[in-house]
Amino acid sequence: MQGIPVAKVGEIGEDDAIVVARATAGTLDDIAVVYSGGEYFAIDNTCTHEDASLAEGWIEDGVVECPLHAAGFCLRDGKVQAPPASRDLAVHTVHTEGDQILLTPNPARLA
Amino acid sequence: MNAIASVVIVGGGIAGVTTARELRAGGFDGAVTIVEGEPACYDRPPLTKAAFVEGASLESLALATPDEFASARIDVIVDTRATAIVPGDGRAGQVHLADGRTLDADAIVLATGVRARPPAFPGGDLPAVGVLRDYRDAVRVRELARPGTTIVVAGAGLIGAELTSGLVALGARVVLVDPHPMPGAAALGETLAAYLHGMHAAHGVEVRQTAVDGVTPAPDGLRIAFDDGTSREARGLVVGAGVTVDPALAESAGIAESAAGGAIVVDASGRTSAPGIWAAGDATWRRDVDGGLVPCAGHWEAARLDGISVAADILGGTAPARGADWYWSDRYGVHIEAVGRLVGTGTEVVRWAEPGRPAAIFRVAEGLLVGAASIDDPMTVRAARRLIDQRVPVTEAQLADPGVRLRDLLRSA
Repeated sequence: MQGIPVAKVGEIGEDDAIVVARATAGTLDDIAVVYSGGEYFAIDNTCTHEDASLAEGWIEDGVVECPLHAAGFCLRDGKVQAPPASRDLAVHTVHTEGDQILLTPNPARLA
Repeated sequence: MNAIASVVIVGGGIAGVTTARELRAGGFDGAVTIVEGEPACYDRPPLTKAAFVEGASLESLALATPDEFASARIDVIVDTRATAIVPGDGRAGQVHLADGRTLDADAIVLATGVRARPPAFPGGDLPAVGVLRDYRDAVRVRELARPGTTIVVAGAGLIGAELTSGLVALGARVVLVDPHPMPGAAALGETLAAYLHGMHAAHGVEVRQTAVDGVTPAPDGLRIAFDDGTSREARGLVVGAGVTVDPALAESAGIAESAAGGAIVVDASGRTSAPGIWAAGDATWRRDVDGGLVPCAGHWEAARLDGISVAADILGGTAPARGADWYWSDRYGVHIEAVGRLVGTGTEVVRWAEPGRPAAIFRVAEGLLVGAASIDDPMTVRAARRLIDQRVPVTEAQLADPGVRLRDLLRSA
């Protein structure tokens, strides 16, 4: 089984997210694992504009909106959808096996 | 109208940069140029928030990197003021720059923003008296704010309140003066204004209901005389006395109509009365469908949406409908958001986090949410934005109950 088990299917509600600590993922940033529109996504958890946890943001239609200043990022590719952020977000790989949600960190973001 | 092949945007704040980006996003293939009088196109709201406390670089506040502008083929001319617009024949005209250059444009967008109203009292021109509007202002004020020095902030609106919080974080002793018994109440309502204004005293700020009467030099800075007959020595004074629009550019362009403070009057699409000239952001007042003039609230999101509207209109399209106005404020480590109308007709409903500390404040009229504000609970306002715009019926009991997630009201609608 490849990847880090981070939760079980059903534990992350629709348009909700959990945070995987950087120490667990071995990455530079914490990772938000998001469930939206029947799909799982994994993104760096810190907004590229200011220090805010995107897992606490507004998640809808494949976009997460930062809880601080509403910068928007595409959950699939991390691209900026709305300012004030101007830098894209790193994304990671996530998949399910049985009832496990498995995270594979982006090699470019390993600590 | 002939096809527009070149757009010159005067002003590189959020309105101007959004206009440029949206033109490209909408497929515009002509020339796009931003003219900015300051050294960069940067974001203004951070100037009184974390960036002020941290002494952030101008580069870190940039709305886009030089590479991003280059790859979007947006030409940016910084450190150069636009001095006049010469209306053209069948096109918008020419923009004259302070360095002698002239830019031809089929369309011109005025996104020039506002200036801080200069202090009107005697001594208002002394070097230790400042305003806070741009990056240089922020650097100057920050230099005065050494730990233990006293700074007087005159005006407890959004900027004055945020700045006070930033000065406290830098270790300065702050005296915050405002002649209004409850600053902010006209926009936020009494409950929220009282809580927010009370935060200053709770953080050691000396809060006084008075105004500055005059300023004279003192050995260690300034002696500031107040309307109530008292006076105080301070290292510096920062004045938030409202804003004005520099009318010169609009006048040179032949835009006849202006509103209070010199604001440029635009229609819903951002068009001015001059052919080929649009305006966006803080410098504008909008003519609504009933013919009335809507004052600009001066918020970042509104300026961004203006940019989207103007770009859509230049491209011959229609901008998406605008929702209720939204803005935020950060102070004393607390994040506040507000949407819509918190005063006026209807009923105020408070959702208490604990006695004396509101988590959210709502205004309900005829079973619909018309406004909301939150303190460290932004998802409530994000849900409220959508409840307002989608006109989802709500009850006062639901809003008052901290156990009810507003997002669930949206989902069950």
